[in-house]
Amino acid sequence: MIEIARPSQPRAATSFLGRDTGLEHVVSDNTHRIITRYADALRKRPTPGSLEAVDAEKDLAERLFDAIAAAKMLTAQVAMHLDREWRDKIFQQLDSLHDADEWQADDEPIRQGSFSTFLKAMLALRPNRRPGLGLSHNGQLVAAWTTDRDRLTIEFFPNDRVRWVLVRYIEDEPDRFAADTPVSRLGEGLAPHHPEHWFVR
Amino acid sequence: MTGKVASQPYKRPPITEAVIAVQFAAPVPADDLRKVSRRFKARYPGEQEVKTLGVHVVNPPGGRSPVTNVQETVGHRRASDDATEIVLFMPDTLIVSQLAPYPGWTSFFTRFVRDWKLWKREISFLRINRLGVRYINRIDLPITKDYVEQEEYLNIYIQLPEVLGPTTSYAAQAVLNMRDINSQLIINTAIVPSPLLNHASFLVDIDISRTQDVPQRDEDLFELLVKFRDMKNMVFEACITDRARELFLR
Repeated sequence: MIEIARPSQPRAATSFLGRDTGLEHVVSDNTHRIITRYADALRKRPTPGSLEAVDAEKDLAERLFDAIAAAKMLTAQVAMHLDREWRDKIFQQLDSLHDADEWQADDEPIRQGSFSTFLKAMLALRPNRRPGLGLSHNGQLVAAWTTDRDRLTIEFFPNDRVRWVLVRYIEDEPDRFAADTPVSRLGEGLAPHHPEHWFVR
Repeated sequence: MTGKVASQPYKRPPITEAVIAVQFAAPVPADDLRKVSRRFKARYPGEQEVKTLGVHVVNPPGGRSPVTNVQETVGHRRASDDATEIVLFMPDTLIVSQLAPYPGWTSFFTRFVRDWKLWKREISFLRINRLGVRYINRIDLPITKDYVEQEEYLNIYIQLPEVLGPTTSYAAQAVLNMRDINSQLIINTAIVPSPLLNHASFLVDIDISRTQDVPQRDEDLFELLVKFRDMKNMVFEACITDRARELFLR
């Protein structure tokens, strides 16, 4: 049985076994060598998908390519939970958002942390209508749904945070609501505002 | 060892990455590696340079200062447009990798054979000293209570005395000799951060390799890979329960 640690994720056990834990100060040299040997054995070798690209001086096209490739590899981590049609659509949108010909020099390509939060939100909300995607100048992904004049916009931040804003017209008067919450409470926050108005075809 | 081998592939296999790796006795010179990487451009348009660092610390006797040796290895990673098909050229290793969604062994193996033939056309004969197959599975279990009973889904986990209460995290490794195919099996299992909300995720990382009497002829190499695949399937099926299988069939 595994106890669920809330609100933060449990630390991977291997993080307790590294060389930089200060272990060398509390056990003998020989014990430290033995523990280090076993800890090294536990440390998993990297795979092609987990290796980081070299972060050298890169031109714009290379920076954009690296950002899109990293986002696509993040998508692969949850691809078994996404239908292929939606995955392909997300990739098309990402490619389009990073078009080098349209790129502004001071804009940042998509941040992996923002995209990871987006994937978590989409797999939890599972909107039947796919959002339009945009990118803020500092690389945060923005998803937007529009039904008539009513609009829902969610901006995704690293570290599992989201900021959402919605506008709904009731008898021609706009009602506006907004929140800044952890992604885990996004569904709960939207629920009183009938998100199916945007999410269901 | 017994295990139920599925005759049909799962609708949503939990494989996050499948890898076939061929390691050579001698490294390929950097210029040749760059050239061969370019030859794969039509199949894998995207290229990134990757670097691995090996750090070796020697503690000399007599209280002298430790000596640190850092070895840097540069390779080339190429990927398909959707970044799910990857080939990695390291000086002493050719790696063909498939990220999720996993298209099945036939497709993955066919791609490996195709890439292996192109590699061999470009690089003169190199002795192979290790052949390996690695499948990294991440099993995402929905959280419905304050705990997850992983033993309902997995046959591989750490069992602690009940008096200690529930575990919050673990990582374990088992190394086994697979005598009938003269190979080594390494299974890593751990709790890993879940990329899904309200899920707990468990890693089942299966690595099968041979370093002795490694086949050098193509037919023998391919035959051994097929044996590795059969073994991998058997090991995976032995590590999961029917409740886990239900998750992959939905």
